[in-house]
Amino acid sequence: MRPKTLWYFGRETGYGLWRNGWMTLASVSTVAISLFVLAFFIVLSVNLNHIAATLENEVEIRVFIHQKVPRKTELQLLKQARGWPSVRQISFFTKTQAAHQLQSEFPDQKALLQLIDQSNPLFDGYDVYAHHPAQIPAVARRFRRLPVVQSVVYEGLVAKRINRVTEIVRAVGWGIEALLALATLSIISNTIRLAVFARRREIAVMKLVGATDWFIRWPFVLEGTVLGLIGAAAADVAVNYGYRWAIRAAVAAMPFWPVAPLHLVLEHTVGVTVLMGLVIGGIGSLVAVRRFLHV
Amino acid sequence: MIRLEQVDKRYPNGHLALSGVDLVIRRGEFVFIVGPSGSGKSSLVRLLYREELPTAGDVYIDQFHLTHMRRSQVPRLRRQLGVVFQDVKLLPQRTVGQNVAFAMEVVGASSREIAKRVPQVLELVGLGRRRDSFPHQLSGGEQQRLGIARALVNNPVYLIADEPTGNLDPDTAQDIMQLFLEINRRGATVIMATHARDLVNQVKRRVLAIDHGRIVRDELKGAYHEA
Ligand SMILES: Nc1ncnc2c1ncn2[C@@H]1O[C@H](COP(=O)(O)OP(=O)(O)O)[C@@H](O)[C@H]1O
Ligand SMILES: [Mg+2]
Repeated sequence: MRPKTLWYFGRETGYGLWRNGWMTLASVSTVAISLFVLAFFIVLSVNLNHIAATLENEVEIRVFIHQKVPRKTELQLLKQARGWPSVRQISFFTKTQAAHQLQSEFPDQKALLQLIDQSNPLFDGYDVYAHHPAQIPAVARRFRRLPVVQSVVYEGLVAKRINRVTEIVRAVGWGIEALLALATLSIISNTIRLAVFARRREIAVMKLVGATDWFIRWPFVLEGTVLGLIGAAAADVAVNYGYRWAIRAAVAAMPFWPVAPLHLVLEHTVGVTVLMGLVIGGIGSLVAVRRFLHV
Repeated sequence: MIRLEQVDKRYPNGHLALSGVDLVIRRGEFVFIVGPSGSGKSSLVRLLYREELPTAGDVYIDQFHLTHMRRSQVPRLRRQLGVVFQDVKLLPQRTVGQNVAFAMEVVGASSREIAKRVPQVLELVGLGRRRDSFPHQLSGGEQQRLGIARALVNNPVYLIADEPTGNLDPDTAQDIMQLFLEINRRGATVIMATHARDLVNQVKRRVLAIDHGRIVRDELKGAYHEA
């Protein structure tokens, strides 16, 4: 395409957006809201994934021992449990090691770490791995029955449940987005319809002097696409600031909660929203061009 | 060459606007299409630039078979034609120069070609000094000249005009007629639908008379009179 022609399309598109004023604003906002909702569900699922991944990196079963139990008893139980048929691997940790691990995981939680230093409230315990995920509940029960055991958590199961929830969240998100996308498509195509109407004289002249169909269509398709992209950009800016705020709020309220970092969230949202903006804007304007332009 | 063979045009409402039209127009001719209001002049003209398709029969213009051509070829046909209307269809937001340049721009002409050609055409139609005016600042005759300039700017082989003097006073209509004759002298084929009897009678060119959708007379050096 010649630079001259590109310039023509760019100018016509910009002019169209400007002339349509309120309609441009309305369609950009609609796209932005629709994509923000989509991004919201993506953020949710990214976080759920993050939690599941964090948990899966940790041991499958974690057994905590009452604080007064002597080290000798703890080591005896360790040896005993090694003999259990379902146990693939078991290792012992002291509450000091647990505190160090915590410190390395949450270097920013100064107040908390201070507390741990002064009077370590953590427990000694075991990291236990089963041969098979199905054996985990039984192994956990077996530990739980022992009087020296304070508590047992097995997070593999939790992770699995979270993954289920993530799938549902994602499906619901895309379902809602599909509906929103339809609404957005219709407002975009109406905006383009207005643009076509505003330029009906030019279009008539263009047809008459032999402009090709695509030459006539391009500025409108571009206009729709630009609407979609601006909407996507607005949604992404909102996600960026909204999520920064959410992280701060979450860290203040639940210091241990594994919040997915901003860059991870943006990695997942920006691409999808921009692509959806392009698709919705492009399809919306193509629909309008087909229905209202008659070329 | 323009050729119509046994052309009928029936509108969706059932009205038969043209029937059994046979017609040949060679390159370089100047042809009037005359007839009372409602006789089918505009219907015939619209077939030529393929705004409408005939219900039956065939229309040929040079290498184009209008009744059997692909949509994508229509722009190529239209670039051979210049069309002028009674209501000139100017773009009110654009200046005289921009109105003409627009017609070149949208068929992909370069800035250099546009800069060179637009003043030439405006000069030809006598609007050389009105380049930066807006259409509403022009008189009726000047607006019609601008419409003609736009139709001419891409060097059409055929200039097709539908009642171009319909809204003009007799003197202005005279001037516009002279302009069409000049354009014809420079080589373009001119086809003009009109019911301006005086103009037709005075210049002695080919006259196609049409009545109730039928060609009732075809005279070289003809006059506009009742059959
Ligand atoms: N789009 C249309 N639909 C239905 N009837 C039409 C249409 N255009 C023209 N006609 C009818 O066809 C006849 C010829 O019209 P037209 O070609 O405009 O004649 P002229 O230009 O000679 O006045 C008229 O009776 C007119 O009412
Ligand atoms: Mg007419």
